[in-house]
Amino acid sequence: MLSNFTAIEGRSFGYWKLVTFFAVLILMGAGAFVAVEIHGHGITGMNNKIAWGVPHVFAISMLVMASGALNLGSMSTVFAVKQFKQFGRFSAFLAIALLIGGLAVLMLDLGRPDRLLLTMMHMNFTSMFTLNVFLYSGFIIICFLYLWSMFEYQQYTKVIGSAAFMWRVILTTGTGSIFGVLHAREVFHSALTAPTFVALSLSSGTAISIILLVTTFKHTKRRLDDIVVFGLRNALIFFTLLVAYLLVVEKFTKFYSPAFYDVQNWILTGPYSWLYLLGVWGAAILIPLGILFHPSRGNSVKGVLWASISAVIGTFALVAHILLAGQAYPLNMFPGYEVSSVFLDGVTATYTPTSVEYILGFGGIAVAGIIYLLGIKFFRMLPDKAVAPEGYELPWNP
Amino acid sequence: MTMDRRTVLGLGGVATAGVVLAPGMTLIAAPPPDKTEASSDQRWAMLIDVNKCDSNCTACTKACRQENNVPLFGDPNRDIHWIRKLEIRDKEHRRPSVSLPVMCNHCENPPCAHVCPTQATFIRKDGIVLVDKHRCIGCRYCMLACPYKARSLVYHETSRNEDSNPEVPIRAKGVVEKCNFCVHLVDDGKQPACVQACRNEGKHAMIFGDLNDPQSEISVKIRTVKTQTIRADLGLKPHVHYEGL
Repeated sequence: MLSNFTAIEGRSFGYWKLVTFFAVLILMGAGAFVAVEIHGHGITGMNNKIAWGVPHVFAISMLVMASGALNLGSMSTVFAVKQFKQFGRFSAFLAIALLIGGLAVLMLDLGRPDRLLLTMMHMNFTSMFTLNVFLYSGFIIICFLYLWSMFEYQQYTKVIGSAAFMWRVILTTGTGSIFGVLHAREVFHSALTAPTFVALSLSSGTAISIILLVTTFKHTKRRLDDIVVFGLRNALIFFTLLVAYLLVVEKFTKFYSPAFYDVQNWILTGPYSWLYLLGVWGAAILIPLGILFHPSRGNSVKGVLWASISAVIGTFALVAHILLAGQAYPLNMFPGYEVSSVFLDGVTATYTPTSVEYILGFGGIAVAGIIYLLGIKFFRMLPDKAVAPEGYELPWNP
Repeated sequence: MTMDRRTVLGLGGVATAGVVLAPGMTLIAAPPPDKTEASSDQRWAMLIDVNKCDSNCTACTKACRQENNVPLFGDPNRDIHWIRKLEIRDKEHRRPSVSLPVMCNHCENPPCAHVCPTQATFIRKDGIVLVDKHRCIGCRYCMLACPYKARSLVYHETSRNEDSNPEVPIRAKGVVEKCNFCVHLVDDGKQPACVQACRNEGKHAMIFGDLNDPQSEISVKIRTVKTQTIRADLGLKPHVHYEGL
């Protein structure tokens, strides 16, 4: 059933135009980094209440998607879904590319990035950041080994692929726990924050894989059978439902306790409610599900593509909501009391991101993009045609 | 010499593993030494009587700024406040508002130290929570973790002027800092600047001392009057206590 793996030619004007575009974005991102280095974070929109801003939204969204990009590999290696085996290399490689892009933004936004190595010299094992240093670097190594085994030592693919699957679940739990463990922050302090990140990685990773596979196969004029895309669509539907389920359970639990009425009402009606309602519920959940369950759009590759784009936008929205709304909501230092001060205690924080932050974030996306583009040109990452096993039928269609 | 892709992949993997693992080896070979010479015989703490704190008085905040070279940038979102005055009032407005200073609470279980990836924030043996500004990477995770909003990133370059305290460094751009109980004064047997200023104003609302010394003024007070800490429910065991809150 499986065809050969071949590198793309990568000689077309369109290919090099895209590479140049990403290279320019990377240069601009580097410029933004240098500007922040020279002038300090004063040239960003971040402040002492919103200390993590747009760069972190980009970085963490990419880290979540990196873990999710491994979905296709995991589905074939761990769950024996045969038609995804042909995407195993693509899956592991995309995971590495996205992780590097995300980490680049995270590291370059540090107040003192020149001291980065201190994170490895003076480790603090109670810090989720320290644990994540191991999880992220370990993830790159394990994805690399997974990739290597798929290229050369297929007898080890099952073992390494299974290890990679477990690692990615722990990794995304670690990313979600950066927020979930913070008791002081009422918006995101929850045991469900980490599982929600895991579910989000499943949906967003599947979505970004669909986007890249459909566009790459189209522009390289390779055959990608609709039934293969529809298999991914079915996975995306259930992963999206899983995200929705966790969000509903979290809201239900919080609304059951009067202690959380204030914060929950603020989420639904406050200044960030548009992000929650339109971004999280709209873009991440309802729009993709609306398209995917639609009898005609859900059964067209174009429809699945648009649903995936919406899911990726929704992923950024969900991370942005957790991060920005989570910090903007006033700290509840004196429950039951109104608080005011010259340090703007007791009021919702304001935050207006500057272009520097967006440029840095898009620079990270460009890093992942250029790694992907060069990877598929110089290595045999993609099958020359993606077809389903003979006689294969999807268990159901919308 | 030419290398095939298999070799490139292999070398890439080895290089990545080396970069990731080498610093960890350093950690195992050379654990960081004890950080300070402070003694665990002492446990520094503060008690603030809000009944004596006047809402119009900002002597403590001014003294802190002067002593520790804490700048104001003219932007309320970015200004650095190692200590600030809060006005609190019950939501039903049944009682008059209360004014009180809030600063780093030097918790026994400080979430800022727990989340710091480089141990730049650490607890001294005498309980003072400090930031090693030369080790802070400016990740700002501590700012998200602190429930007292006691931490500020230095968003702009700062410089010395004729009013700067030459005994204390200026605040470093890109680093998160906070109240350190004026550790340089405490180590000289003096009181923190805010406490001195409050006393100089004749308010005597702030007491600083050693909780391990049963005869100290603060120990006696905490034994004999009803005090509380901010967000005691979080289990952080703060060491800034309040009377009359």
